[in-house]
Amino acid sequence: MVREMKADMNWLDDPEVFRVNRLDAHSDHRFYKDMEDMKNESNSLTQSLNGNWSFSYSMNAKERPMDFYNVDFDDQTFDEIQVPGHIELNGYDKIHYINTMYPWEGHVYRRPKYLLENHPEGAGLFSEADYNPVGSYRKVFDLNEELIGKRVCICFEGVEQAIFVWLNGEFVGYAEDSFTPSEFDLTPYIKEKGNVLAVEVHKRCSAAYLEDQDFFRFFGIYRNVTLYAKPSIHVEDLWVRPSLKEDNTTGKFKMDLKISSAMESDIDTASEIGTVKVILLDKEDNVVFQTEDAINETVSLKPVEIEKVNPWDNHNPYLYTVLVQVYNSEQKLIEVVPYKIGFRRIEIKDNIILLNGKRLIINGINRHEWSANRGRSITIQDMEWDMKCMLENNINAVRTCHYPNQIPWYYMCDENGVYMMAETNLESHGSWQKSGKVEPSWNLPGSHVKWREVVLDRAKSNFEYFKNHTSILMWSLGNESYAEENLAVMNQYYKEVDPERLVHYEGVVSNRIFEDRISDMESQMYTAPWDVEAYLANNPKKPMLLCEYMHCMGNSLGGMISYVKLLDKYENYHGGFIWDYIDQALWVTDEVTGEKVLRYGGDFDDRPSDYEFSGNGIVFADRCEKPAMQEVKYCYGLYK
Amino acid sequence: MDCTNNKTDQLQIIYGDVTLGVHGEDFHYIFSYQTGGLESLVIGGKEWLYRTPKPTCWRATTDNDRGNRFSQNSGMWFGSDMFLFCSNVLVTIDGKDIEKPIAPLNNAFSEREVASTVKVTFTYKTITVPTTEIDVSYEVNGTGRIQVKVHYYGKLGLPELPVFGMRFVMPTKATGFTYEGLSGETYPDRMSGGVPGVYTVEGLPVTRYMVPQDCNVHMKTKWLEVNRNTTQNNADKSKDTFTLRFSAVDKEFAFSCIPYTAEELENATHHEELPLPRRTVVSILGAVRGVGGINSWGAEVEKEYHISAEKDIEYTFEISKG
Repeated sequence: MVREMKADMNWLDDPEVFRVNRLDAHSDHRFYKDMEDMKNESNSLTQSLNGNWSFSYSMNAKERPMDFYNVDFDDQTFDEIQVPGHIELNGYDKIHYINTMYPWEGHVYRRPKYLLENHPEGAGLFSEADYNPVGSYRKVFDLNEELIGKRVCICFEGVEQAIFVWLNGEFVGYAEDSFTPSEFDLTPYIKEKGNVLAVEVHKRCSAAYLEDQDFFRFFGIYRNVTLYAKPSIHVEDLWVRPSLKEDNTTGKFKMDLKISSAMESDIDTASEIGTVKVILLDKEDNVVFQTEDAINETVSLKPVEIEKVNPWDNHNPYLYTVLVQVYNSEQKLIEVVPYKIGFRRIEIKDNIILLNGKRLIINGINRHEWSANRGRSITIQDMEWDMKCMLENNINAVRTCHYPNQIPWYYMCDENGVYMMAETNLESHGSWQKSGKVEPSWNLPGSHVKWREVVLDRAKSNFEYFKNHTSILMWSLGNESYAEENLAVMNQYYKEVDPERLVHYEGVVSNRIFEDRISDMESQMYTAPWDVEAYLANNPKKPMLLCEYMHCMGNSLGGMISYVKLLDKYENYHGGFIWDYIDQALWVTDEVTGEKVLRYGGDFDDRPSDYEFSGNGIVFADRCEKPAMQEVKYCYGLYK
Repeated sequence: MDCTNNKTDQLQIIYGDVTLGVHGEDFHYIFSYQTGGLESLVIGGKEWLYRTPKPTCWRATTDNDRGNRFSQNSGMWFGSDMFLFCSNVLVTIDGKDIEKPIAPLNNAFSEREVASTVKVTFTYKTITVPTTEIDVSYEVNGTGRIQVKVHYYGKLGLPELPVFGMRFVMPTKATGFTYEGLSGETYPDRMSGGVPGVYTVEGLPVTRYMVPQDCNVHMKTKWLEVNRNTTQNNADKSKDTFTLRFSAVDKEFAFSCIPYTAEELENATHHEELPLPRRTVVSILGAVRGVGGINSWGAEVEKEYHISAEKDIEYTFEISKG
């Protein structure tokens, strides 16, 4: 890959440019320099850059401080901002909630590039807009000792929506996709001391068409920023495929590794630079098997069969640990990678979805990441609270609506046996659903080839980062993005790279021509119980689930029992995911009483808005359970 | 003053010019021809009524009601809830209807009138088009127990009701309430998870839905006791708790006990806009529409949880000292 040396604002406008110098997505494994670090879960090879950064806000790209990335730039006039966090919640830009409409509705006329003959160009759509705010961030840091002299990369776990990165005055890279990590190699530019990291975040770019989720529209660095150093030999990627044979007691284990060496020539010449040892441990740390291979750029383990495994499911989320140990040619331990995996089998047989041979029942919820204090910049404590709440209320499945979540959430779902529908960062209902009606005269991602790679990359990132999580039973292509060729291509991608999981997409109900190419299951949303029954009773093509049902807005969730009863009647009905987990509202100080109050869409002079549609949770924005929760707990408890 | 010299089960009756007083040991009720209902309900020297109770036929629009345009279709019940008026009063003494005993007819009575039972029936007219009537009868026996029978007359052409019952507004905020019924906030289509039992609720919580809306309904209730420890009586310095009890008669009722009327909730877009809680609003409900939730932009509540206004609704409950 040729490294781009200069930033170009036109990338904001061009759907074909969505990553520049961004590293390939890879598995989200943790790695340590030795066993002790691993045991302490303290990784001395990483260095957090969270905390205070200097910051400047501009209304648009023209007004931004153009040369702020220069090392000698004087940032005395800059403010301070906390990273991670949303720029709006720091008081710089208006908070805005809107559901399906694009956030510029009624403010700016826009049509996406390439889709309509009378709008071919789209030049300057975002880069030259009068209102498209920019956050210019600067951070000066010294490298921690353990990182010095090694290959150093930076990981932005989540930046909304387009990001330009410079280090020590040199252009590092560009990325879009607000909800998956963006990583860059800093090795060529990094120094021991006084590094100047400059990050320019643009609120909107062509990706805005693909990120039209029903939520508050924020921008900024809202997830962790972390430096990591790679040991001289490093596991770049692992792809563990544990599975369960038909007898439900024999496990199968396959695994591929991608390994890099600080001296690239080492690995190219395939000279013996070391060995990689893979050990599988059960819960009590007994060795189930181990194997050793010579290090190569890719290492594929011979498939192994294991007798009498403990299968993983919601009732017994039994996890084994895969331990990857990397040794150099002197037998010195260079790197350790632990990964917890479970043996399970998800499949469709006779039109029924089976997990480990048993019919899968989804007692699910859709979960946006939300905190009334911090917006989508949620904390581990928030996640732990959510997990506890779900387990206490018999919720066994979660859909990561409508974007990949923070990495720890996937680990928590593995540990607690919560089934995941892992959704790609894609929602474009503003492009084809107008005032609730289907109107796809232009729609995204549609069929245009120039909008293909960008959505495919989102699917790739989702798969590559999270592929090892046992809890993921199905990939989801996104939400409410109609259905044309580009979604079919995404579907095909997931089936090719991961034939052992299911693929989900609901939007095909709006364009059934693609029914046979998109989604392994019939997925609908908000279908009335009697209409669900009509589908099920009429020779259904596919097993059915409801990716969204029971819209829990305000005082609601009436009639849930009618859905639950369908589970008794139809084997190929698998339940659904309640819409949704948590009200989206924000704590603010009441301008009249001075008290802390919760505010929702439209409360910030934000127009147009969809107002209280921001709150449909089974918990309130402050995470108190709604009264409806006792019904959820009861109904889901019937099929626990 | 309460009558304290009545040691029998006989009720002492005060045939007033504008009201009908009914006294017994430790209780004192006043029915008003002027306000059109039970104006005063005093037990143990404590007043339980802020304003004359009337039938209620509105609930603060829920998000789902808004989404399926229930409020547009049934909005005339909102007006009726606020502006219902009393069109007739019938007094029945010991089972016998008498002519409305106002002046000058009441000149025929004395200060020592008694009866075993007194029943006063108020007829209310809705301001719907077409209009219909609701009868509410209060039958008092010698122990002071009041049996309240509520009868709604169905009328063809009237839109569905969100709720139907009696609303009692009490002068001060309750300290809490105890009831025998289902756990939590329940509605006809959301009560499978409700566990039968006796539950005590401290204070008068209003469920903190983002937009204030109907809330805190409890289905299948056998009885409800409301506790207060304050009055508006300037001479009453006591802070002792006193209690009023509502009991089901034939079938269980639903209730809510919150500090706001449907109209107060209806008008607020945020909780901070609600008035400071200072009263207790107890709704004893004979019919409740489901809350629904298939979606919030058009889907109706399931059919069996609608309330037809074209059919009669009748239910009965009792009020007594807790």
